[in-house]
Amino acid sequence: MDTSALIDSLHPLEIKVIMALGSRPAGTVLETEQLAAAAELEPSQLSMAIEWLLAKSLLVVHAETVTPMVSLTKVGEQYVSGASPIERVFSAAREVTSTGKRLTIPDLQAQDGLDPSDVSKAVGRLKKEGVLLIVQGGCIESTGRPSPTVEVIRVLLQQVSEASRELKSFPEAHRQVIEDYAVKRGNAKEPFRVDDRVTRSFMLSPAGVAAAEHLAKEGVAEEVSQLTPELLKDGSWRNKRFRKYTISLRAPRIGTGKKHPYREFLDTVKTKLVSMGFQEMRGSLVETEFWNMDALFMPQFHPARDVHDVYFVKHPTHAAKIAAPFLSRVTKAHQDGGKTGSTGWKYAFNAERAKRLVLRSQGTAVSARTLASAPAVPGKYFSIARCFRYDQVDATHATDFFQVEGIVLGEDINFRTLLGLLNLFAREVAQAKEVKFLPAYFPFTEPSVEMHVRHPRLGWMELGGAGLFRAEVTLPLGVTVPVIAWGLGLDRMAMVALGIHDIRELFTDNLDLIRTTRGIF
Amino acid sequence: MPTISIFKDDFESLLTLGGRAKGSVSPVSIEQLEDWLMLVKGELKGHNQETGELRIELQDSNRPDLWCCEGIARQIRIKQQGKLKPYPFFAKKTKKGQSLIVAPGLEQVRPYVAACTARGYRVTEEGLAQLIQTQEKLADIFGHKRKTVSIGIYQLSKIAFPVTYELVKPDQAKFTPLGMETVMTLAEILMVHPKGLEHGHILAGQSRLPILCDAKNQPLSFPPIINSREVGEVRVGDDELFVEVTGTDQLMVVLTLNIFAANLADRGATIEPVEVQYPKTTPLGKRVITPQDLGNSKTIQVKTIEQALGQELGVKVVKQALEVYGYEVSAGKGTVKAKLPPYRQDLMHAMDVVEDVAISRGYGEFAPVMPAQFTVGGLSRIEQTSDRARELMVGLGFQEIISNIMGSPESYRDTMRLADTEWGRMVEVENAMTLTFSCLRQWMLPSLLRVEAASNRAFYPHRLFEAGDVAIPDDAHELGSRTETVLGAVIAHATAHFSEIHSCLDILFYHLGKDYSLEPVQHPSFLEGRAGRIVVAGKPIGVIGEVHPEVLERWQITVPVVSFDVNLSQLTDLS
Repeated sequence: MDTSALIDSLHPLEIKVIMALGSRPAGTVLETEQLAAAAELEPSQLSMAIEWLLAKSLLVVHAETVTPMVSLTKVGEQYVSGASPIERVFSAAREVTSTGKRLTIPDLQAQDGLDPSDVSKAVGRLKKEGVLLIVQGGCIESTGRPSPTVEVIRVLLQQVSEASRELKSFPEAHRQVIEDYAVKRGNAKEPFRVDDRVTRSFMLSPAGVAAAEHLAKEGVAEEVSQLTPELLKDGSWRNKRFRKYTISLRAPRIGTGKKHPYREFLDTVKTKLVSMGFQEMRGSLVETEFWNMDALFMPQFHPARDVHDVYFVKHPTHAAKIAAPFLSRVTKAHQDGGKTGSTGWKYAFNAERAKRLVLRSQGTAVSARTLASAPAVPGKYFSIARCFRYDQVDATHATDFFQVEGIVLGEDINFRTLLGLLNLFAREVAQAKEVKFLPAYFPFTEPSVEMHVRHPRLGWMELGGAGLFRAEVTLPLGVTVPVIAWGLGLDRMAMVALGIHDIRELFTDNLDLIRTTRGIF
Repeated sequence: MPTISIFKDDFESLLTLGGRAKGSVSPVSIEQLEDWLMLVKGELKGHNQETGELRIELQDSNRPDLWCCEGIARQIRIKQQGKLKPYPFFAKKTKKGQSLIVAPGLEQVRPYVAACTARGYRVTEEGLAQLIQTQEKLADIFGHKRKTVSIGIYQLSKIAFPVTYELVKPDQAKFTPLGMETVMTLAEILMVHPKGLEHGHILAGQSRLPILCDAKNQPLSFPPIINSREVGEVRVGDDELFVEVTGTDQLMVVLTLNIFAANLADRGATIEPVEVQYPKTTPLGKRVITPQDLGNSKTIQVKTIEQALGQELGVKVVKQALEVYGYEVSAGKGTVKAKLPPYRQDLMHAMDVVEDVAISRGYGEFAPVMPAQFTVGGLSRIEQTSDRARELMVGLGFQEIISNIMGSPESYRDTMRLADTEWGRMVEVENAMTLTFSCLRQWMLPSLLRVEAASNRAFYPHRLFEAGDVAIPDDAHELGSRTETVLGAVIAHATAHFSEIHSCLDILFYHLGKDYSLEPVQHPSFLEGRAGRIVVAGKPIGVIGEVHPEVLERWQITVPVVSFDVNLSQLTDLS
C-alpha cells in the first residue's frame, strides 16, 4: 500500500498517535502514559489506536518493563478508616493494662469483627516485638512500648490509599511489612496487594516515520467518521475528511419484517383469483357432517366418512339442528333422489348423523354453504380453507393443510366451459401452456375431470380436479343453474417452488429457515 | 380408492373374449395402456418390467366392476369390438335344481345371499391371484370391510345341492377354517381365528350365527368370517367353482355376484345360475335367480346430454358412444334409452350417462371454451382486515409465521397455565390419533411460542406474528364453536419489555382506525400487573402483556417474551 493510500485509511485516533511521536525528535520513545498525554487520548482510545498501528506495522514496541506496584485490597480499604486487627489488639492490650481488667486471647478472638487467626497472628507479632506479654491465666498485658509494625501499617495504609505506588519506592523496613501483609495464595484477607505493572514504550517504525512526515507536509484535514446534523448545519463538512470504509466487508445481519414464504405464494394465488372475478368465501373449522358431506351427496355409508378418515368433535358432539329446508331436501336426494331426477342412494338417511360435528375435511364444505345462501348468478367464488384429515403425519401428510377451492355458477356453464376455466387456471396460476384432461371421480361431480399441466420448470404434474356439481347437490340447496366445482392442488407446487421436500416444513417452527427462505413471484 | 395389481400378459389375453392362450396376443405398449386407462379412470402407479406386474389405481368408487384385471380389460375390449357381447347366463333359468335355501331369522342377521356355479375354466395362477384380489377389494372397500358384502369361492365338486343358509348356535357347528389345522366351533373361530378377531364385531350381539352348509350338512363357510378349509380352498387347476355372496344390501349382493360371474365368463367359464329361496318375500321376490340383470335403464333427451357437454352430437353419435362403453341403447326421436350392463349399477341420474358419453368419446374431443360471464372479484371483509393487519405487522418489523391449527391441550392450555379457566376451553377431537394433534387452537400465542422455543439459535431480536383462524368454544353457536381470525404477535430478546409491544399495538390500532383502551387483567399466562385486556367500544377483543416466566420455563424459552393477541373478526364486526 503506498503512503497516501495508507494515510487515507488511518483513523483519527491513529493520526493523533503518529503525530505525537512524529512531532518529537527522531527516535523518540514514549511510554504508554506519556504517549496518552502527548496524543491527548483516553487510555481506552489509545489502546485501540496502538493495537491498530501495531497491526499496520507503523508502530513498534521499543521496550517492555515490569514494575511491582503496591495497592490496597478491599480489606485494606476498610482498614484505612477503621483499624487493622493488629491495631485493635495493640490498643486493647494498652486499655486493659491501664484499667487493670483481664483479657484473654479467647476473649479477644470473640470480639466482634475480629478473626481468630488474625488475632493469633497479631499477638504473635506484638509479643515478638516485646510490646505484649502473656501473663498468668493466659491474660495479655501491654509492656508500654510502641509497636513498629502498627506504626508502619498505619503509614502504609495512608500512603497507598490514594494511588498505587511502586514497591521499590518504599524503604526496606516498609517493604518487609508489605511482604508480610500482602495477599498471597491461600491468604486473601490481607490489606496490601503487589501486582506487576507492564509498561511498554513505543517508537515509530520507518513506515511510521514516513507517514508522520507525509502528514506533517500535507497537513490533515480533520477526519470524521460520521456526517452529523451539526456538520451540515454550519457547513463545516467542507473542511472535513470522511474516513473511507472497507466496503467489501459483509453486511451486518438484521432481522426484517416479512411475509411467510408460503403465505406469499398463497397471496399470489388469491390475487390471481380475485383478478379473474372470484369472490372470497369463508367457512368454519368445525362443520356438521351435513355440510361437510351429506350436502355433497356423499352417502352416509361412504368409505371416506369413517372414523379413520374424519376427526369427530368431542364436545358438543352434535349441532342443535340443520337449517330447513335443506335437511329434508338433502335427505330425500339421498334416499330416493327427491326432485333431483336421481334415484338416490336408496338407503335410510340418518338425520342425527347429519348433525354430527366434525373438523372440516374438505374445502368443498365452504362451497356447499355458499350454494345454500342464494349466491349470485353468474357468480364465481373461491376459498383458501384449512382442512383436516385423519392421516398419519409424514412427509406427504399434514394434520391440517390449505385447500384452494371454489365454484362457478351460470347459465352458460357446461363441460366445455369447465375445461375452458381449467385452461385459464393452468395459464394464470401455473404458467403452463400444455394441459391434459383426464376422467376422474369425485362423489359430488359428474362429469369429473383431473387436470395435469406441464409446468415450465416442474414438468407434468396434477394441478387440480373439477367437475359439474351433481343435481343431487345443487337442487336441494336451491341452485337451478349448472355449477362448476373446482379445486387446485397447490401444496406440491409450493413445495417444489420453495425447495422443500416435506409438507410439514410448510408450517415449520424453524425461524432461521423461515427468515432465509425466499418467496415466490 | 383401490390400487390393484395385475399381470400384463394376463391382461393382454383378456383383451380377447374367452381368454386366448398366452403368447398368441400382441403385447400392449405402456403408452397405449395409459391411454386406455382413461376409459376406466385408472392411473398406472407402477410397472415391474421383469415380472410384468402392473399396479393400477382405480378412482371410481361406484364402479367396483373395474377393480380387477377382467373389468379393465372388458371396458377396453368393448370399445375395440364396438359393442358388449351379451352374457347368456343373465337370461337363463336355473339348471338341475341348483338351489340355495335361506332359513328364517337371517333377516335379523345377514339377510341376503346370491350364488352361481362356474364350470369349464381351469384356474390358472394369475386367474387365482385375480380371484383372491377381487374378493378382497370388493369385500373390503365396496362391502365396507365385509359388513355389507362378503364373498366365498369353493370347489363345486365337493358340494351337494341344495345348499342351505341358516342360523346356528355358536357352538353348534364346527369345521376346519382356512388357515387352521383343527376343527373349531363358530364361537372358537370368533375368539381365535385372525379373521374372526378382525371381523367378528359385524356379528356382535347375535345369539345365533350364519352358516352355509350343503345337502349333506357339510359346512361351507361361516359368513362373513371364513370358509371351510375342506370345501372353500380353491387351487390352481380346479375347473368347477361355486361362488356365493352374502350381505345386508340385496342389490349390492347381487351386483357383486354379477361381477364375479362376468369375470369368470370372460376367462372362459360357463356360468350356471342358482335359485335362492327365501322364507319371506324380498325386494327381488321370494325366489331369486342369481346372477340377475337388474335392468337399470334410463331414457334421456339427447338435448340434455348436448347441453351438459356444450356440444351438438345427435342421437346417432350418442348411441354409438354409449354402446362402445358397454350400454345397451335404443334410440328414439331425440332421445336415447340407455341400459347399464349387468355388472354395473351406478346409474342414478342422467348426468352419469353424460359423463360416460364424454369418457367414451375421450375428453380430448371436447374443445375448451372460456366462460364468458362477467363477475366482480373481491375479498371477504375479514380477509381485508387481516391483510391490512399483516401489512402493518410486516412494516413494524415482524416475521410472519404459519402454524398448524391442530395441536395438543398441553401446548395450547396447560403450558399456558390456563387449565380450568375460561381461556383454556378448546374444541377437542374424539378420535385423535395422538395427543400431539388432538384439539384446535383457541388463541395464537402458543403457536408463536412454538417457534420461539425452537429458535433460540436464530439471532435476536425475534419479532413474530401470525394472523389465522382459531376455534373458540361457544355453547350458543349452532356448531358449538366460532371460527375467528386472530392476530398474534410476540417480541423476544434479552430486554423485551411491555412498552415495546404496547407501541406496536398502538401503531397497529391507529392505522386500523380503531380507538382502544387497556384494562388491567389477571391472566394466568402473563405476569400479574403487566397484562391488559384490549378493549374496543366497550368490548374485550384481545390481551397484551409480558408472558409469565413459568410459561416460558415450560416452553424452555430463555429470554423474556412480550405479546398480544387481537381478535380481528370481532374487531371487524365492531365497525
